[in-house]
Amino acid sequence: MPSKLIKHALVALLLVATLPARAEVCATDDIGEQVCLPSPAQRIAGLSPGASELLWSAGAGDQVVAVVAWSDYPPEAKTVPSVGSHTRLDLEKLVSLRPDLVIAWVTGNPQEQISTIRALGIPVFSIEPRDFDAVSSVIERLATLAGTEEQGWAEAERFRRGMAELSARYSQRAPVPVFYQVWDEPLMTVNDQHLIGKVITLCGGRNVFGELPRLVPRIGDEAVLEANPEAILAGGMGEENRDWLTRWEQYSSLSATRAGNLFFVPPSLIQRPTPRMLQGSELFCEKLEIARGRR
Amino acid sequence: MRGYWLPLTLLAVAAAMSFLLSVTVGSASVAPADVWAVLTGQGTELQRTLILELRVPRTLAALATGGLLAVAGALMQVLLRNPLADPYVLGLSGGAAVGALLAMLAGLGGLVVSGSAFAGAMIATVLVFGLAHGTGSWTPSRLLLTGVVVAAGWGAIITLMLAISPAQRLPGMLYWLMGDLSYAGTPWLAITVLVVACLLVLPLGRSLNVLARGPMQAAALGVAVRPLEWGIYVVASLLTAVAVTTAGSIGFVGLVVPHMLRLVLGNDQRLILPACALAGGILLVLADTLARTIIAPEQLPVGVITALLGVPTFLLLLYRSR
Amino acid sequence: MTRLQTTELIIDVPGRDDGRPLSLNIEPGQVWGVLGPNGAGKTTLMHTLAGLRAPRSGEVLLDGQPLLALKRRQIARHLGLVFQERQDGFPATVLETALIGRHPFLSSWQMESADDLALARRALTRLDVAHLADRLVSTLSGGERQRVAIATVLTQSPAIWLADEPTNHLDLHHQIAVMELLTEEAVNGRAVFMCLHDLNLAARWCNHVLLLYPDGEACWGPAQQMLVPEALESLYGQRLATTELDGAPVFVPVR
Repeated sequence: MPSKLIKHALVALLLVATLPARAEVCATDDIGEQVCLPSPAQRIAGLSPGASELLWSAGAGDQVVAVVAWSDYPPEAKTVPSVGSHTRLDLEKLVSLRPDLVIAWVTGNPQEQISTIRALGIPVFSIEPRDFDAVSSVIERLATLAGTEEQGWAEAERFRRGMAELSARYSQRAPVPVFYQVWDEPLMTVNDQHLIGKVITLCGGRNVFGELPRLVPRIGDEAVLEANPEAILAGGMGEENRDWLTRWEQYSSLSATRAGNLFFVPPSLIQRPTPRMLQGSELFCEKLEIARGRR
Repeated sequence: MRGYWLPLTLLAVAAAMSFLLSVTVGSASVAPADVWAVLTGQGTELQRTLILELRVPRTLAALATGGLLAVAGALMQVLLRNPLADPYVLGLSGGAAVGALLAMLAGLGGLVVSGSAFAGAMIATVLVFGLAHGTGSWTPSRLLLTGVVVAAGWGAIITLMLAISPAQRLPGMLYWLMGDLSYAGTPWLAITVLVVACLLVLPLGRSLNVLARGPMQAAALGVAVRPLEWGIYVVASLLTAVAVTTAGSIGFVGLVVPHMLRLVLGNDQRLILPACALAGGILLVLADTLARTIIAPEQLPVGVITALLGVPTFLLLLYRSR
Repeated sequence: MTRLQTTELIIDVPGRDDGRPLSLNIEPGQVWGVLGPNGAGKTTLMHTLAGLRAPRSGEVLLDGQPLLALKRRQIARHLGLVFQERQDGFPATVLETALIGRHPFLSSWQMESADDLALARRALTRLDVAHLADRLVSTLSGGERQRVAIATVLTQSPAIWLADEPTNHLDLHHQIAVMELLTEEAVNGRAVFMCLHDLNLAARWCNHVLLLYPDGEACWGPAQQMLVPEALESLYGQRLATTELDGAPVFVPVR
């Protein structure tokens, strides 16, 4: 009996979908769920700082009614009501803002809370961009759901083309062994699967810890000394804070230290899978080019 | 008198061997011959950096921290006459953790975290001291109860701080809470405090033996119970504070090492206390060596290893002691 | 020759009136028996005499010096106390337990000498527990533990023995052996002051008796004057039959 019902429903849906007058929008999210909205979303909630940033990139910033803590880009995001942190959502607050679309983070939001949101009948679109193409693709899909294709698709294309140009220019250059320090205490880096690892490859660098099994491995000074990278790039606890690099200045046996290749890259430009990565990658590639120039 | 030197000599030899093992292995491979070359003043620059600037200070810090924790644990067990007591039972690590996490939350690092942890530990000590003293009637069970409740309070504050911290700060905080020797800067404070404390406490060994039989019996045998108890409390707190400041709150060493030694060596504090200083250090050096090398170049928190090493060893000894 | 005196001493039994102040004079060679029903304050008196508990008023003097003004270590060199109850805390062997009797005589860095060890072993032999020397105290029977506790004070070798029911848990033979031992100590110039529950042990071995009443009333003096049936019957609220055996009075409770 239910299968028959479903069949009828599907037929009905197909019929509806083919009707040109209706503005129904559909997109498939990163866990393979197709999300269809009767009309483009007007009240969108972004449940991670990255999701919010991507919504603005997709041209849907004006439709965002809820963000989470640390959603700081673009600056307008800070004026939107927050519904808690991405690890612990304030569902009451979220529901009271009456979103008609929720953008969830596959590995960042608690599964139980996302299930609850679904059960409440609010459409959930889950994202997890793991490479550069995915960033563009997510922007396009979000633009579709928000009805802002024009702006969103252009931004996605700008990012795609920019990254392709960087790759064409740098990826085949003489390899530079690179150590990227993602955190200071404890000392942490990234492997090749991580987006930052992919930026290293894009710029013609060779991540000295690229082969480690974990996405964000925790290592010790000793491992860095042995790997002896030619360049060390690090973020920091702020936008202009080179503190993390001073740690390496004491080791004169390090090639990177001897050559002066200790570079700061503002973490906000490279941490999140958003179009700002293009800017971060440009900086990254430039630093590696400086390192090549010092050979 | 009866055979103090044999066990202590064996432990000292074992400590020296664990030290050598720890400076020989690591994620970077340095041949034992090269280690020897470095220790005698030769070797390449990289080898010298690896051994002298990274492994030796860290190993010394582990040796001293383990000793501090084990001695503090042994003292707390005698003070509270409770075999379940450990250096953290009175909430000292909780206070230190709140201090350290506050500093991390504020985005500060290194020395500020250490200093803040030490301040937290001292506040916790004074708080428990004051509350347990109350209107004057003071007993170990009252001290224990006060400490346990205060510790629960610290635990709640720690959970709160973890809950409101930004995600990127969490790994650092969690590693600190689990205990981690990569935070150990210079080992000299820990070593100095350990040596001074041992010199202070060793002459009290026999008094502690008597105290372990209860305060009335101890007083009848000429022990000034109250000053001795407060003295132990202050010394044990200081040792724990320095240990926590050096390497975060490493669990298990302070609880299990004194017990392991008691099962093997008997219950004479004159032997147990110096043996704790050595055996605690050995356990922590071995645990840290494993933490650095098991999945090298990735690093594990040392507290996990101390428990994984200590639990089976302790259970085996306990099982066979019957 | 060490003496223990009390001047107008009122022990602090919570919730009890002051009662009669005690002015005792415990001299070398004397064997005191303290008799009284449960709750009369015998243990409190023992602890007060040892300086472990402050009196409500009055003073305890050790060789004329107020006890509370002396260091614990000085007191412990002259005064030993056999506790009625003891806690084991951490495991320790019988020999180690006896050896702590030497604690008041050793400096901080000093280890027990061969002499101290010999003293402890002699005490264990004297109490018939030498064969248990390496056993853990926690594995012993109640009577064996009692003898180890007495051996510890014997190792301490105090001029004044305070003993809170030293014959507790002991079988008949060992009761007599312990009373013999304490009497011998008194003959050797020491003073013995003990609580007893057994009237007949007191009648046989004590030359001085202190009767403690639950309301704080007390009387004391030479044994012959104290151990009269009327006084004892009112002390315990129990009728007694009296006879004489082997030169000492024997008291038997009757219905």
